[in-house]
Amino acid sequence: MQDSPAAASGSKSQNQSTFNVQRQTSTAGGAGSGAPPLKTTPNPTPVHLKPKTTNARRMRRIISEDAEWSLAIVPLLTELCIQHIVKNFQNNPILKQLLPEHQQKVLSHLPHDLPLTVTANLIDDENYWHRCCIKRWSVCHVAKHGGSWKRMFFERHLENLLKLFIPGTTDPNVILDLLPLCRNYVRRIQVDQFLPPVRLPTPPQADEQSDSGSEGEGSEPEKDHYQLESLVAGLKHLEELDLVYGVKDCGMNFEWNLFLFTFRDCHSLAATIRACHTLKVFRLTRSKVDDDKARILIRSLLDHPALEELDLSHNLIGDRGARAAAKLLSHSRLRVLNLANNQVRAPGAQSLAHALAHNTNLVSLNLHLNCIEDEGGQAIAHALETNKCLTTLHLGGNELSEPTATLLSQVLPVNTTLINLNLSCNHIGLDGGKQLLEGMSDNKTILEFDLRLSDVSQESEYLIGQALHANREAARQRTLSPGYFMTPITNNSHENPVG
Amino acid sequence: MNPSGNIGVIDQNGEEHLATAIHGPSVHSDNPQERIQARRLRIAARQESRRREALGEYLDGKKENEEEQSKSYKQKEESRLKLTKLLLCGTELVTNIQVATDIREIHRRVEEEEIKRQRLEKLENEVKTSQDKFDEITAKWEEGRQKRIPQELWEMLNTQQVHCAGLIEDKNKLISELQQELKIKDDQYVKDLKKQSDDISLLLERMEEQVKNAMKNFRQELNHIEKAFELERQELLSSNKKKWERALQAHNAKELEYLITRMKKVEDYEKQLNKQRAWDCEEYNTIKIKLERDVQILEQQLQQMKATYQLNQEKLEYNFQVLKKRDEESTVIKSQQKRKLNRLHDVLNNLRSKYAKQIKQFQEENQSLTSDYKRLVGQFKELQRAMRHFTIIDAEKFRDIWLMNEEEAKALAQRAFDVDCVINVQHLGLPWKIPDFWFLKNVGPISLQQRKSAAQILEELLLQTEEDGTEEAMSEDESYLDLPEQVSAKTTKRILMLLCDESGFLIESKLLSLLLPLEKSECYLLRLDAIFSALGIESEDDLYKMVNFFLRYRAHRLSSAKSTSVNTERTSLMSALECLSMLSQVDRKSLVSKSEVESIVEQEALQGGDYERLADRELREKEGLSSPRLIHPNDVLKILEAFVMGLKKPKDVRPVPRVKKDVRDNSRDSEYWASLAMVIPASKQSLWDALYKALEKYYLVLTQRAKLLMENDSLEQQNAEMQSLLQQYLQAKVNAELQIPPTQGFRLPTK
Repeated sequence: MQDSPAAASGSKSQNQSTFNVQRQTSTAGGAGSGAPPLKTTPNPTPVHLKPKTTNARRMRRIISEDAEWSLAIVPLLTELCIQHIVKNFQNNPILKQLLPEHQQKVLSHLPHDLPLTVTANLIDDENYWHRCCIKRWSVCHVAKHGGSWKRMFFERHLENLLKLFIPGTTDPNVILDLLPLCRNYVRRIQVDQFLPPVRLPTPPQADEQSDSGSEGEGSEPEKDHYQLESLVAGLKHLEELDLVYGVKDCGMNFEWNLFLFTFRDCHSLAATIRACHTLKVFRLTRSKVDDDKARILIRSLLDHPALEELDLSHNLIGDRGARAAAKLLSHSRLRVLNLANNQVRAPGAQSLAHALAHNTNLVSLNLHLNCIEDEGGQAIAHALETNKCLTTLHLGGNELSEPTATLLSQVLPVNTTLINLNLSCNHIGLDGGKQLLEGMSDNKTILEFDLRLSDVSQESEYLIGQALHANREAARQRTLSPGYFMTPITNNSHENPVG
Repeated sequence: MNPSGNIGVIDQNGEEHLATAIHGPSVHSDNPQERIQARRLRIAARQESRRREALGEYLDGKKENEEEQSKSYKQKEESRLKLTKLLLCGTELVTNIQVATDIREIHRRVEEEEIKRQRLEKLENEVKTSQDKFDEITAKWEEGRQKRIPQELWEMLNTQQVHCAGLIEDKNKLISELQQELKIKDDQYVKDLKKQSDDISLLLERMEEQVKNAMKNFRQELNHIEKAFELERQELLSSNKKKWERALQAHNAKELEYLITRMKKVEDYEKQLNKQRAWDCEEYNTIKIKLERDVQILEQQLQQMKATYQLNQEKLEYNFQVLKKRDEESTVIKSQQKRKLNRLHDVLNNLRSKYAKQIKQFQEENQSLTSDYKRLVGQFKELQRAMRHFTIIDAEKFRDIWLMNEEEAKALAQRAFDVDCVINVQHLGLPWKIPDFWFLKNVGPISLQQRKSAAQILEELLLQTEEDGTEEAMSEDESYLDLPEQVSAKTTKRILMLLCDESGFLIESKLLSLLLPLEKSECYLLRLDAIFSALGIESEDDLYKMVNFFLRYRAHRLSSAKSTSVNTERTSLMSALECLSMLSQVDRKSLVSKSEVESIVEQEALQGGDYERLADRELREKEGLSSPRLIHPNDVLKILEAFVMGLKKPKDVRPVPRVKKDVRDNSRDSEYWASLAMVIPASKQSLWDALYKALEKYYLVLTQRAKLLMENDSLEQQNAEMQSLLQQYLQAKVNAELQIPPTQGFRLPTK
């Protein structure tokens, strides 16, 4: 079977070039009988498996007396081998030993449903993983996964497993078996739901009113979610952890105990993040994290070597939690802190401001939808006077009013780092708006300043908008011509009074 | 080609720009618009002027270019501003929803808080009132228990029932109210859910709208920019074309000009050529004539030359012949020389080989000689060793023989003495004493007593003074026996200690480090040794010289300081003492006595109190000659310097006797032996001789006497015999027979 084409090609080396064209068509189409009429040259074609082929037969292109005659030529041995390899890849994965071109061929023909144990550590080809991802998920946003399809595949695969993991019923080995396969590729775990353990008697009770919630609190230890400890310990490149302890799409089956972040969960999570030294981003949102849990978590993050972003938004963190976060600011290299939609009040904001005053790492602080009020706002404004690195500050929806605005207007000309300031949804008032406008007129760095729905007069808001526009232009000039730093600034300074 | 049309397009474009400026970002801005308009006007003015210039003259292209560039740039800038504004507005529009929900949430929270507060208040009020009611009811129960009449009790029970019912009703009402609120909340939750989903859908809608809008605007702006660029390009093209044509025309005109000038030039050249030709012809002819004449002259010269040539040829041929001969001769000589050279080469080679051979030979010889030399050195060493061995053995033998001979000689001498004694005592009746000679006491070969080296002395000194600490007075008189008497050991030691402490610089630092772990006395010893070797002090004498020097120096100092010090008398006394002790060699006795005095004094001091200690010290100082307390450490170096200067001279002579150290000094041997032989002095010998003569005489007398005695004896014997014979004769019978007996004739001797 395999000898004849080799022999034929050996004997008819001068016809090789013409055969190649035919071979491609034949391998693609299987029976490319349409090709022969196109060939006008009377070159003899080797017939497969016909020992009685004579010279006379070789001279002809069509042999009508032989019903099996076909111009389709037996494919190359390498092709056959590659096909065989593809077919038996699951049992006998041969890839690294092949030549690069053959590797490419094998990879392009591999089915996407091969078991991960075979493919995970063997195949690095992005095209293969691209196919796998496309087949599996309709929407693929590869840019969110560092542009690597393989990473995306494993990250999303792991996420799916974690999302559907039910403690007590699902075998934990389902995830742990995957660990050796994905440990080199997973950099981020983003799980927006953790299922609670199933309790058979509860579903009927769930229809009753919120009593079951209080009942659930009594038997809290039974409601622990999946413990990430062993998983995270195995992932050596993990950089981002984005968790929501809750259930998605519960609809009208809502039940309070579906959204329980228990103390044991909290402790194990704290141990997990403490042990993970590569972690850069930690998000725990919408999980009912109260002061005590926040303190446990933050204590475990003190002096963490790599952490850069901490997001605890949409929780129940109060002043004590904020104080802990303030302590974390001075004991880590945190760059982004998000405490949006919590219950931080003036004392918490004051402690945060105290930490902020001498911090040199934090770039972004989000206190959106808290209730820090004027006292906290004033403290933060004072902190901005000495701070030299904060660029983004979100104080929207914080019951701030005129005193904070006056203080901010004094600070704005002094501070040269702040770029983005959000004071929306406060009660700044007309006078406060005017003062802010005064402050803004002397500031050259703020590019975005949100004052919507904060009782500021249209006029001052508009004028602030003008100042921002000028600042933006100046910033653009600076980025366009970094060599001529001085000239655009002087130009702008001339233009500003006009504009 | 068509400047007016082109400018019209530009004008349109400018109008369009104005229109976009008015319609685009001018929705809410006064100042930038004014600015833009001002720019527009400026551009229009420039274009106007350009048009005028285009009609009249050309402008330099640079300015134009600049303006063109600025136009497209302006368009870009405008679009950018517009788009950023659009994006900003869009994002604002989208985020407005978020902000709205935020504020709603805040309001809700505030309301919620208010409601919560009210509810709590209400509940508290309710609790209070119901508690009051309950108290009332319980109080009534007490009342009821006292009622005895059933009607009253019944009445009361009824009222109680009514009250209780009222209480329960109140509670129920409250519960139903709360439940109502809960229901309302549930409804609100559903409403909120709906509202939120609506918001989200609105958000999505707006986002989509924004995206579409933005896309549209971007495309529009892109078109605008492209148009602007295209326009600019067209303008550029047309202007370039114009320029090109102008250049072409100029080129043509210039070409024509060149052609005319060239033709003129050609004519000129033709004329010049003709002139030149005519002139050339004339010149040619004259030259030709002149040359022909020259040829004739040259031919004549040629003939002459030929003649001389032949003459020369003959001469040369002759010369050639001569030279050939010479060449032959030279070849012969050359071959001879070559042969000679070869021979000399052979000789040279021979000589070379000989030379090499000789070198080899000499090397071999050298090697053999060196090996011989080595062997000889070895042998010499062995010989030396043997020599040493033999010298030792010889010395022993010598000593043995010496001892033997000495013994013999001494025995002989002893005998002589015995004899002398006998002679003196017995014969002469004189008292006799054994003569005292130094050589009689000598045992073994005579050797000059070795000078002790300074180090040995030191060692002795140190050891001795160590012992001194324990047994002071007792040991001193013994130990001083082998010390020269100048100074006491203690003083010496103190001076040495001082020296040791002060002149550490003379010791090598390496040695100092080595000394550290050693004992104190050992350390001192080694250090002193080093110091002495540095100073050049080698022998005992030097050492004592030095010590004396020290003392003298101090004495000198003291005497000079006499007038000032308080205890002058004492010091002067002491210095006198020192001088004495130094100059005259104080004999041992004095020292012993001193030490005895000291020991006594010390004993006294031990017994006595404080008062006596003073005296003790005085005495001690007196004894110690120089308590080093009086030599200031600072002076030590000065003294040393002076001493070393003084010592230098004798030092040079020293090495000579040192060489002869191992050679035995046999100068006194003969003397020794001679003296041993001359144990008996000559006077005695003469005495002996006289005695001998007298004795001989005496002997002669004695022998004569003996002879006489013997004669006497024999005579007596003869007499006795005669008597017996006589007796016999007398007593014989014959006698009787005889008439007259012979007896009668004589008388018998009666004895």
